[in-house]
Amino acid sequence: MIIEVEELSKSYGEIKALDGVSFTVEEGEIFGLLGPNGAGKTTLIEILCGLRRLDKGGATVQGYDLIKDTYKVRGVIGFCPQETLLYDLLTVRENLAFSASLYSLSSKKFKERLESSSKVLGIGEFLNRKAQHLSGGMKRRANLAASIVHDPAIVILDEPTVGFDPNMKREFWHFIRELKKEEKTVLLSTHDMYEADELCDRVAIMHKGKIAALDKPTVLKEKIGGQATVHIRVRSDQAQKTRALLKEYHFVAKDKEINIPAKDAWQTMHEISNKLISHGIFTEKIEIVEPTLEDVFIKLTGSRLTGSEVS
Amino acid sequence: MNSIIGIAVKDIKTFFREKGTIFWTIAFPVLILLLFTAIFGREIPFNATIGVVDNDKTASSIGIVSGLNATGFLTLRNYTNVTEAFEDLNATNIRAVFIIPSNFEQSLPYRNATAFLTVDGTNPDVARIVEDGIRTLLLGYYKYAFNYTDPVTLNAEKTTITKNIGYKENIVPGMLTYPLLFSSMVVATGAIVFEREKGTLKKIRASPIHPINMLIGKTLAALFQTAIAIIIMSALAVVLLGPKLNWNVPLLVPIFFLGSMNGIALGLIISCIGRAPQEASNAATTIAIVLQFFTGMYFPVEYLPDYMQQIGRIIPMTYAAQAIRDIMVRDATAAALLWPIATLTITAVILYVIGILLYKRWVEKE
Ligand SMILES: Nc1ncnc2c1ncn2[C@@H]1O[C@H](COP(=O)(O)OP(=O)(O)O)[C@@H](O)[C@H]1O
Ligand SMILES: [Mg+2]
Repeated sequence: MIIEVEELSKSYGEIKALDGVSFTVEEGEIFGLLGPNGAGKTTLIEILCGLRRLDKGGATVQGYDLIKDTYKVRGVIGFCPQETLLYDLLTVRENLAFSASLYSLSSKKFKERLESSSKVLGIGEFLNRKAQHLSGGMKRRANLAASIVHDPAIVILDEPTVGFDPNMKREFWHFIRELKKEEKTVLLSTHDMYEADELCDRVAIMHKGKIAALDKPTVLKEKIGGQATVHIRVRSDQAQKTRALLKEYHFVAKDKEINIPAKDAWQTMHEISNKLISHGIFTEKIEIVEPTLEDVFIKLTGSRLTGSEVS
Repeated sequence: MNSIIGIAVKDIKTFFREKGTIFWTIAFPVLILLLFTAIFGREIPFNATIGVVDNDKTASSIGIVSGLNATGFLTLRNYTNVTEAFEDLNATNIRAVFIIPSNFEQSLPYRNATAFLTVDGTNPDVARIVEDGIRTLLLGYYKYAFNYTDPVTLNAEKTTITKNIGYKENIVPGMLTYPLLFSSMVVATGAIVFEREKGTLKKIRASPIHPINMLIGKTLAALFQTAIAIIIMSALAVVLLGPKLNWNVPLLVPIFFLGSMNGIALGLIISCIGRAPQEASNAATTIAIVLQFFTGMYFPVEYLPDYMQQIGRIIPMTYAAQAIRDIMVRDATAAALLWPIATLTITAVILYVIGILLYKRWVEKE
């Protein structure tokens, strides 16, 4: 493993932001911290990046101890904070050069990195533009380029896609996957369950400073998320008849919408579909709804990722 | 690239691309320079300290001394020893030495009593006011108190008048201290506050650069900006005013350097004390605006009320301003500058260490 966190705790006065957090991140994986606002994601990330002090516990990053070798740890991490940290009056190239100088990069290596960043992140066309004249998407790309200019083995991103529209999110996910292709290890935080599901090899679900569960998204959904449901919508005038036909299933119905939890969702959907067709019932819609990471989170904590309680 | 140089280069680039920077740090002081020269190229009410050696110790001499005391514009310092008084005059601690010889009262009836005055002629305004004041008082005292007519000769001489020194010769060296406050101090505060405010300090702190190296980088940038400001202001002053000054570069450089280091260290301290970034930045500007009047930048210190002169004495820049004036106006030599150089070095080191400690404490508090 490349990151090992052990029993990490941190309080701000009375608030326990982290309460005995332990996990490991394997080399080359995309690891997600999924949790609502206030779960402790930023605190955890900034401790790993040497920006905040920890109270208890410890961590090693690429074999370096977080406290004893803090400068070595910083050297192997590329940290991309939530906000874009570019100097408005400097061009993108100058911003990157400055970041490179913080890591004492040689000018030859810098040129190489500039080229590969231009290719991967598509920043080549606006290298000579001042940061203040960039669009939001360009800024995010330049920001990411600046945090990985020293070719770090580990890239840590704190809620990198907050405020993105769906297209920008997809584009950004593509960049993250490119990083994985370059064999980098990625640790990112998010409160977006789709993002965690879509992007991460493994996800740690965080709640009130603790890790509530940690596994591959598929495994979490399967083990904790509960059964899939078959979702049916029929014509209003046939709703009554449909309910009567399906009475052997434990369904939940509301008007013309019917949800049937099922162990083997495909088998069940097939059965129901045949039955309804043979009785002349017209289904407007029939689909399998898989449990999401949101369901996993609700099962684990009793609240939603947005923070509101489940009624 | 080396990370210290990286910080410095980045700071310098952002600084010179900031709108208004050039105006506030360079054009503004030059404007003030021209304005003040136009307005104040003449007398101003003032207070000067002069040394008094009373070797006569008679009713007459004591009467004169209390008369001088009562003028209000002279502060007297008593000496028993003439040599000591002249040492202080040379060190510019006092503006003049006034000597009443031992046979003064005896000679009065014979109308050949003589008193001696040596005035520092560096600033002709100050010299003239001191001399005229004493002469008027001395002659007036006998005229009205004893109804003698001219019983006393005032033997007055001026020292170190090597050239015709006017207001511009005084204000140009003074204005060259402006960058020590407004470039060094305000820029250093701004450079750190700016990173805090923009959040970019996070990026720097997450990198392997040591906090002290970061501060060194920022110090280099502030030194560079100060140097640029001084060079441009000097050039403009020469072109626009043409003052007759001694541009002794090898002596000026260390004084400017030390003055600038004091300013940067103060700026560093201010940037760590303010809670909100903007607060610290405003504080630095306000402090600079207030301090400029105490350092003798615009007026020779003597023009200031006594308590202001006292305040000026605890500000390192005052010593830099004084030393710069001594070099440029009085042709001071390296030997005469040992004391200000030592003072400035000590204060720079102390302030810088305090600044580093405060910065480290602030960083670790997070
Ligand atoms: N600098 C701070 N001072 C005081 N409390 C803080 C500070 N930073 C975070 N907290 C608190 O710690 C908890 C965790 O916050 P944070 O790590 O920012 O969570 P997340 O990034 O998951 O939203 C929250 O209750 C938050 O209010
Ligand atoms: Mg956060």
